[in-house]
Amino acid sequence: MADAPLLELRGITKRFPGVLANDDVSVDLRRGEVHALLGENGAGKSTLMNILYGLYTPDEGQILLEGKPVELGSTKGAIEAGIGMVHQHFMLIPVMTVAENIVLAIEPRRRGVLLDYDAASKRVRELSERYGLAVDPDARIDRITVGQQQRVEILKALYRGAEILILDEPTAVLTPQEAQELFEIMRALKGQGKSIIFISHKLNEVLEIADRITTLRRGVVVDTIAAEGATEEGLARMMVGREVLLRVDKTPAKPAGPLLQVEDVTVIDDRGLEMVREVSFDVRAGEIVGLAGVDGNGQSELIDAIAGLRHVKEGRISVEGADITNATAKTALEAGIGHVPEDRHRRGLVLPFSLTENLALHGYRYAPNSRRGFLNLRTMAQRARRLLREFDVRGGTPLTPAGSLSGGNQQKVVLAREIDGAPKVLIAAQPTRGLDVGAIEFVHRRLVEQRDSGRAVFLVSLELEEILSLSDRILVIYEGRIVGEFPPTVSEEELGLAMTGGRKEAA
Amino acid sequence: MSDGDQNHGDELLSEEFEEAPRPSDEGMPGVRMTFFRQARGFVGPLLTTVVAFFVGGLVVLVTGHNPLKVYKAIFEGTGLNWFFQIGSHSARIPFSTAHMWFPWDTSSIAAENLQQTLLLTAPIILTGLAVAFAFRCGLFNIGGQGQYLVGSYFAIWLGTSFVHMNPFFHVTLTIVIATLAGAAYAGIAGILKATVGAHEVISTIMLNWIAIWVGSYLFGAGGPLQNKLQPEIPISGDVADGAKLPVFWGLKLLQGLSIGIFIAIAMLVVYWIIINRTTLGFAVRAVGFNPEAARASGISVARNYFVAMAIAGGFAALGGAVDVLGWEFRLGPGDIQNSSIGFIGLAAALLGRNTAVGVGFASLLFGSLINGTSGRQLDPSIFAPELAGNLATIIQGLVILFVGINLGGILVWWRKRRASS
Amino acid sequence: MAETESLLVTAVTARLGGFQWTSARAVGAYGIGFGVLAFWLTLPPLHTRTTAVPVVVGILAIACGIFALAREERRVGGGAIAAGVLGIGLALVAVQSSVPHLNQVVVWSALFSATLVYSTPLLYAAIGGLYCERSGVVNVALEGMLLTGAYFGIWADDFSHSWVVALLVAMLAGAALASIHAVWSIHFKVDQIITGTALNFLALGITGYLFIQHYGDAGTPGNIADYGIPDIHINFIKSWPFIGPIFGQLNLMIWLSFLLLIGTWLFVFRTPFGLRLRSVGEHPRAADTVGISVYKTRYIAVISSGAIAALGGAYLSTGFVHSFNQNMTAGTGFIGLAALIFGKWRPFATWFATLLFGFSSALADRLPIAYGSEWGTLFQALPYVLTLVAVAGVIGRSIGPAASGRPYERQ
Repeated sequence: MADAPLLELRGITKRFPGVLANDDVSVDLRRGEVHALLGENGAGKSTLMNILYGLYTPDEGQILLEGKPVELGSTKGAIEAGIGMVHQHFMLIPVMTVAENIVLAIEPRRRGVLLDYDAASKRVRELSERYGLAVDPDARIDRITVGQQQRVEILKALYRGAEILILDEPTAVLTPQEAQELFEIMRALKGQGKSIIFISHKLNEVLEIADRITTLRRGVVVDTIAAEGATEEGLARMMVGREVLLRVDKTPAKPAGPLLQVEDVTVIDDRGLEMVREVSFDVRAGEIVGLAGVDGNGQSELIDAIAGLRHVKEGRISVEGADITNATAKTALEAGIGHVPEDRHRRGLVLPFSLTENLALHGYRYAPNSRRGFLNLRTMAQRARRLLREFDVRGGTPLTPAGSLSGGNQQKVVLAREIDGAPKVLIAAQPTRGLDVGAIEFVHRRLVEQRDSGRAVFLVSLELEEILSLSDRILVIYEGRIVGEFPPTVSEEELGLAMTGGRKEAA
Repeated sequence: MSDGDQNHGDELLSEEFEEAPRPSDEGMPGVRMTFFRQARGFVGPLLTTVVAFFVGGLVVLVTGHNPLKVYKAIFEGTGLNWFFQIGSHSARIPFSTAHMWFPWDTSSIAAENLQQTLLLTAPIILTGLAVAFAFRCGLFNIGGQGQYLVGSYFAIWLGTSFVHMNPFFHVTLTIVIATLAGAAYAGIAGILKATVGAHEVISTIMLNWIAIWVGSYLFGAGGPLQNKLQPEIPISGDVADGAKLPVFWGLKLLQGLSIGIFIAIAMLVVYWIIINRTTLGFAVRAVGFNPEAARASGISVARNYFVAMAIAGGFAALGGAVDVLGWEFRLGPGDIQNSSIGFIGLAAALLGRNTAVGVGFASLLFGSLINGTSGRQLDPSIFAPELAGNLATIIQGLVILFVGINLGGILVWWRKRRASS
Repeated sequence: MAETESLLVTAVTARLGGFQWTSARAVGAYGIGFGVLAFWLTLPPLHTRTTAVPVVVGILAIACGIFALAREERRVGGGAIAAGVLGIGLALVAVQSSVPHLNQVVVWSALFSATLVYSTPLLYAAIGGLYCERSGVVNVALEGMLLTGAYFGIWADDFSHSWVVALLVAMLAGAALASIHAVWSIHFKVDQIITGTALNFLALGITGYLFIQHYGDAGTPGNIADYGIPDIHINFIKSWPFIGPIFGQLNLMIWLSFLLLIGTWLFVFRTPFGLRLRSVGEHPRAADTVGISVYKTRYIAVISSGAIAALGGAYLSTGFVHSFNQNMTAGTGFIGLAALIFGKWRPFATWFATLLFGFSSALADRLPIAYGSEWGTLFQALPYVLTLVAVAGVIGRSIGPAASGRPYERQ
């Protein structure tokens, strides 16, 4: 195994409007190694890899291949340099076969004009045998499993002569068994001299398969260490770090009876995968329950199910005893569910609508906002003025379209609407995503206020500090299951551990 | 290329980072915000119209005619010049024999031209509303033509029946039933969209042609609704006198202007009220702008698709009824197959940006254009009417073509760019 | 061409050989066949007059359909039930009609040759649309492209007295119209249906304008037939009993359309370019990441579609009717679009749809002979009803290329 690195990213810096995605990042890859890139969402892993694959150009820094600097410029340039990427969201054409997808754009030909399907099949078979990636070349992509699709993606890269493979969160869509098969494949590839960059947030997997691990946090490299001798706790600490906590002053909770009851709920997503598996928990009046977990472990699907936006396969959801399993969104709203969605642009607001209209999005059909089908604009405007004042929304009048507000103010509007609806259960999903400190503080205060006035608050967040500072109880979700319940005094490392598949229960 | 970064990043960006507001959003409106304010702006439509007429003028020029003369002749044919002919005249008060002073001559040639223009404007307004209402819900209703025709069929059927009914009831009944029929017809497309997700463009195009052929069958030679008194002529019976809409301007026998124009203008108001002042309109608009957010707020997207299409169909069908009871009085396969009011309404809705005021003005524009280029009004020595008719069609096409590019938005963007450089 | 022949043979045998004769799908197919049979039995030359026979056959069809439906084969199952019901209904109508009437209307050879004539412009329009839509651009302007080809074809023919020149000019004109669609949809990213509708208007207006300008009231000259696209006379076939009247004297364009059909199938499904075309239409970002130029592919596809559709119009004016009238296509382009949708964007299924629709037009032409013109008129609605039913129930929602209608953001 050569010691000089095959690939080196030196001093990569990349800025987006308002955000420093990569800050002087340096990572190197040795030939024949599996190098894991570890970090939470927003750490900068995807940006870095997109730069490597030619999708972005770095503002500063260089990429060196075998010691020589290269300008990748485009995906084509990256492919020619021998870099292949397996995206988290597959770039496969569902109605075409495996072989067609693999040979696309560099098809073997017969007599110059016709596509040689036999040759394509044959080559795919050869390739799949060489690397131990079992696929049927003539199967249609939409008829094979996700694990098999991933193999097709890998084959696609190998077919184009990739020596370096980037795998972006490959196990996110796999069952544990398929993940093990993937690791076998990776070992085989290693044996054939390929080098792999493995992006993940799952500590156990990283420790199992990687030779070296680089941890990113908020755009900066924390450290690069050998996997041998590393521990999950150590990695968790690097990933999550010690930050100044924005602790909110709050009196101890005095929870009463359960307002939201989730019993053995299983939810299947659009791809047919079980995203929520037999989840059970309560949220009582007067408490904040925080759900911690890395993105993609079932939180979104769980929230959707509670809010009436997704089908529940098994289990029961009830609000103060009233069953709302598989009810419509309207029924859920009327039963007392308030929902601050994680994507305020898509679900929370109608951007071209005015602030008044957005604030009335739930309540427009009830008095006093309307009477006998006619909107009472004056009442709506009065209400809007009051709410905008109460929630200190800046950047517009009641008539301003929501789209011209800043993110923080938009979120305040959503919060105002939900809180004003006096819900029994308030679900807050990523409520402070993209907000500045002042707005974050405001939102936190409001959530605590709600809790103190006897509501049940269900906080789902990717920010551990937020969970820790707000929650009275913390649940951790991993791969669709609740894997632990902790008090707010739990350490971040423990939480990080549970969130990434480690096993360590609270005392 | 740095430009590519932004585009590629969009997908991946939203997963990781939130875009901070750009400085331009706070101060001068960005192009994005201009889009949202489109409904209140008229720069775009005005510019579009000017460009379309300009290109039309080029066509005229290139084929050896004088565009200025042609446009002038067309303009005079529209009757819009009537507004400029201020004088001192004595006009008859509608529905009476009394006269009063009036600054315009109500029986001049320009007046007659204007009557015809307004006769045409009324159904265009209604078919325009049919398109506009559906658009507000995010639906593309190309079926205005079919819905219009269905309305006219029912109007003929009811208008030729119940001959001795009280005129007020007869007219009202006919109009109501015709409107409901059109609503039901469009509702088919709405239901298909709401249940199986069938694209409304395809289903409404099919429904258009079905309506055309069914109508040709109904009123053609041997058809069930053909005029029994004249079996050799493929045409429907005549609408009973009692069912005809009263004429308030011009002579009844010379196809004067019926009160249909008032019905149409009233519908503009109704449209505005529904869209802006009712809970139904609120839901429709929410679904049109952001179906996901609407759904998350408990609004039923499928139900609104159906309702929006049904109401749209009702508007168009009303147009059919107004035409039949206002001046057509009979229908034959030729009329049915040559009719294109539904598509002119489409152009009017697009140009008018789906607002009540916009549709009103755009309909007047197209009504004028069609009338001004028709054989009745245009002096053949200046420009052959058949050429003019095709010119009108070309201009319609150009309007729809340029409407899409959002010339107004480009203008603002261009000004902004000049300002910042 | 040995390569192509062997490919065709392989394709056909693959379809037959791989066919499971007792699968639910096969049974559903039989059901459709039985439905057609139920009706056919009552027609000349069999003239079954007892209602029992077709009813029994029709019920058999419905049974096959239920069998297929129960085994999750919704499309063929639904189709078989529909065919059965329709077959019985039509059979009953036929049995009620008198034998002489039936004999007048149902002259199979005349029906089939008329079918070919009617279906050819549909096929050109539909195939043109196929290329465009397969690349991900919706094309509702087929009507306008047909009309453009019709006018410019005949004008060029009149002008040059050469049908070859006429065809070339027609193709150019169609391509020019389509290029507007291309620029608007791909570059400006305007809504493709709006653009298509605008182009239909434009084509109607421009061809009408030029027609009046150039030919005025007199219309196109009567001698166009002398320079029109020639019929191909296959003399030795002409005397054959059934095939003779149909295939003995078909226009060149009809034969060309068969070649176009086969060529299109080969291109789209057997060449690398077809694969790339389809990839752009299904998943443009995936195609982009392997280096295919989405923009370039779409431009070529859209402009080609205009040229091909225009050929259909040229056939209509210069090869069949030998004249031009304003708006002479009168909705043919939309029937072609309907055929494309009905055929789920596949060449041979689309061809089947064009034949079906052509047949209904041919039947609509002949019905008035015995039954009065109103039935012919009503029959004209049939293609649209069929497509509506297909879109609604049998075919379902997202059936076209997955990325159809959405502009691509890149570069």
